[in-house]
Amino acid sequence: MDVLVCVKQVPDPETKLRVAPSGKALDTDGVKFTINNTYDEAMVEEALRMKEEFGFTSVRALSVGPARAEEALRATLAMGADEAVLVETPPGMELDPLFTARLLAAAAADIPHDLVLVGRHAQDDEAGAVGSALGEYLGLPSYSFVTELTPVAASHQLKMRRYLEGGEEVFSGPFPAVLSILKGAKDPRTPTLPNILKARKKPLKKIPVKDLEAKVSVLKGGFQPTSAVTSFTLPPPRSGAKMLEFQTPEEAATKLLKVLKEEAKVL
Amino acid sequence: MTLSILVVTDQRDGHLKGASLEALSEARRVAAQAGGGEVVAALVGSGLSAVIEEAKTRGVNRVLVVDDEHLRAFSASAYAQAVSRLIPKLTLPWAIFLPDSALGRELAPRLGALLGAGTATAVVEIHADPAGKVTVKRKVFGGKATETLELKGTPVLSLRPNSFAVDAPAAGDPPVEKVELGALPVHAQGVAVEKVVSTRGDTPELTEAAIVVSGGRGLKGPENFVMVEDLAKVLGAAVGSSRAVVDAGWRPASYQVGQTGKIIAPQLYIAAGISGAIQHLVGITNSRCIVAINKDPAAPIFKVADYGLAGDALTILPALTALVTKSKGP
Ligand SMILES: Cc1cc2nc3c(=O)[nH]c(=O)nc-3n(C[C@H](O)[C@H](O)[C@H](O)COP(=O)(O)OP(=O)(O)OC[C@H]3O[C@@H](n4cnc5c(N)ncnc54)[C@H](O)[C@@H]3O)c2cc1C
Ligand SMILES: Nc1ncnc2c1ncn2[C@@H]1O[C@H](COP(=O)(O)O)[C@@H](O)[C@H]1O
Repeated sequence: MDVLVCVKQVPDPETKLRVAPSGKALDTDGVKFTINNTYDEAMVEEALRMKEEFGFTSVRALSVGPARAEEALRATLAMGADEAVLVETPPGMELDPLFTARLLAAAAADIPHDLVLVGRHAQDDEAGAVGSALGEYLGLPSYSFVTELTPVAASHQLKMRRYLEGGEEVFSGPFPAVLSILKGAKDPRTPTLPNILKARKKPLKKIPVKDLEAKVSVLKGGFQPTSAVTSFTLPPPRSGAKMLEFQTPEEAATKLLKVLKEEAKVL
Repeated sequence: MTLSILVVTDQRDGHLKGASLEALSEARRVAAQAGGGEVVAALVGSGLSAVIEEAKTRGVNRVLVVDDEHLRAFSASAYAQAVSRLIPKLTLPWAIFLPDSALGRELAPRLGALLGAGTATAVVEIHADPAGKVTVKRKVFGGKATETLELKGTPVLSLRPNSFAVDAPAAGDPPVEKVELGALPVHAQGVAVEKVVSTRGDTPELTEAAIVVSGGRGLKGPENFVMVEDLAKVLGAAVGSSRAVVDAGWRPASYQVGQTGKIIAPQLYIAAGISGAIQHLVGITNSRCIVAINKDPAAPIFKVADYGLAGDALTILPALTALVTKSKGP
C-alpha cells in the first residue's frame, strides 16, 4: 500500500494579520510561516501510524506552493515520510482550492497512491474543499471528516468512521480513495533532531507548475482559478469585553439577560 | 428565460435541517435581489417522500428529486453525479446552494469540480447583480479576516449555518419532478453505512445551534458541569466544553470546541470558567456575540468577548438558569 499525503504550508496562526497594499490578500511581508498546517500534521501522523501498523510500502508527501513550501515537506519527511514532491509555483501566482486540487491531481497521477490523505482544512483559506474536489479530478471516491480508518487490503475496502451532525457514521467503501482526516488516532509526533537531519537527505523532487499545464488544462475548470478574491478585510480590532458590574449573582444574571435582549438582540 | 438557483438540501436525518432551510430562504432573497429567478429545491437520497412534502412548503418554484436505493448511503461522488443529472432541467442554471453541513461541505467542492465551476464553502453573505454576477463573503484565518470572492461559471456555494434568516413556511403547491439516477461511474459505487452512532441525546448539535453554552476547568469538577447543561437546557442551547474538560474525562470528546474540536458560529456563545487559550478561540471567533464568565478579570477570554462577568461561574450559572426559567413563565 502506498499513501500520498497532501500538505500545505500556512502562516503561523498566531501571526498578526495585515492587509496587502492591493487590498485583496494577506500581506505576507514579515509573516512567519508554520512548518505545516496543524490539521495536516494530525493527518500525516495517521498515515505514519497506518504504515507502522499495517506495514505499508511508503508514505509520500505532496505540496503545491512557492519555494518556501519545501520547509513543510522537509518537516513531513522529518516526521517519517519517505519521499516528497513540490509543485513549485512562481511568486504571485494565484490559486484557489479547486485549482490547487487540479494541480495535485495532475502531480498525483505520477505518484503511486492507494490512499490520498488531506487535512480537515487549511488554516488560511479554511475551505475544506481540496479533498473531495481532488477525488473528482482523480476519478476516485472521496470520504470526508474521517475519524477512524482501517484498510482491509485483501478486499480493497476501508472500514471508517466519519463525523456527522449529532454523531458519527460507521461505514465502508472501496479504495483507492481520497480521504480528509478530521482527527487521527494519535497526537502528531514531534520530529527528533536525528530525523530532522535525515530528512535533509531524503528525496525531494521539484516540478515547476508550468510542467503540469497540459494535464491540468483538460480538467474541468482548466489551468486557472475559478474564483478570485476581490477584497480581503480585517474586522475593527475587538475593544475587549464590556464588563458588567454586579454585587450578587442575581444582579449579574439580570444585567446580562438585559443586554443580551436589548443591546445584542441575541435572545 | 428564467435564471434558476438550485438548492441541494441535506436531509440525512430524515427531515430538512435548519441549515437547509436557511439555504432555501437565502436563495429566494438572492433571486429577488437580482431581479427575479426561480428557486428549485433538489432532493437527493433514498426514501424521500416525507421530505418532498416538507420542501413544498418552503416557497420554492419547483422540486426536483433523485430518489434511488443507490443513494441510501452518502457518497459525495454519487451525490454529485445525481445533482449533475438535474442541471439539464434548468433553463439557465445560475447558482447552486448547499447547506455547509458535513454533507454539504463534502458535496459542494466535488460538484464544483465535476462542473468546473467557481466554488466557495462556508459563505456568510451572497450578492447577485442583475447581470447574474455572484459575489460572496467568507471568513478566513480562524475568523480573523473576511474575503470577498467573485466566482466563475455556475457557482457552487455552501452556506454556513446560522448565517442566514429562515423564512416562515409558505402555502403553495410547486410541481415535483422525479429524475432517474441512471448508471453511476465506478468511483461512485460501493459505500455502505453499517450504523450511525449518536453522540448526544436531544440537545441541539454544536455546529448548528444558535446558542452554545460551554464550560471549562474553572467549573472545578464534573459534578458542577451540570450547571452548564442546566442553563443550556432552559436556553434551548447546545453544550460545549474546553479541551481541559475533555482531557480530565468530565465529558466526551464530542463536546470539545476549538482547534482540535468543533468550529462553531452560533448567535450567542457563553463561556464559563474557560481561560480563552488561542486553540479554544479559533473555534469560537465566528460567533456573533460572546459572553465570558471568569473569576479572573485578566483572563484572555475577556479580550475577545463582547460581554464579561468577572465572577464565580458556580454561582452565576445557577442564577442565570433560574432567571431564564422565571422569565419564560410557568
Ligand atoms: C495542539 C493543541 C490543540 C488544542 N486544542 C484545543 C481545543 O480544540 N479546544 C480547547 O478548548 N483547547 C485546546 N487546547 C488546549 C488549550 O491550550 C487550553 O489548555 C485549554 O483550552 C484550557 O481549558 P480551560 O480554559 O477550560 O482551562 P484553564 O486554562 O485551566 O482555565 C480555567 C479558567 O477558569 C477560571 N476559573 C477558575 N475558577 C472559576 C470559577 N469558580 N468561576 C469562573 N471562572 C473560574 C480561571 O480563571 C481560568 O481562566 C489545545 C492545545 C494544544 C497544544
Ligand atoms: N497547496 C496545497 N498543497 C498540498 N495540499 C494542499 C494544498 N492546499 C490544501 N491542501 C490539502 O487539502 C486540505 C484542505 O485544504 P483547503 O481545502 O484549502 O481547506 C489541507 O489540509 C491539505 O491537506
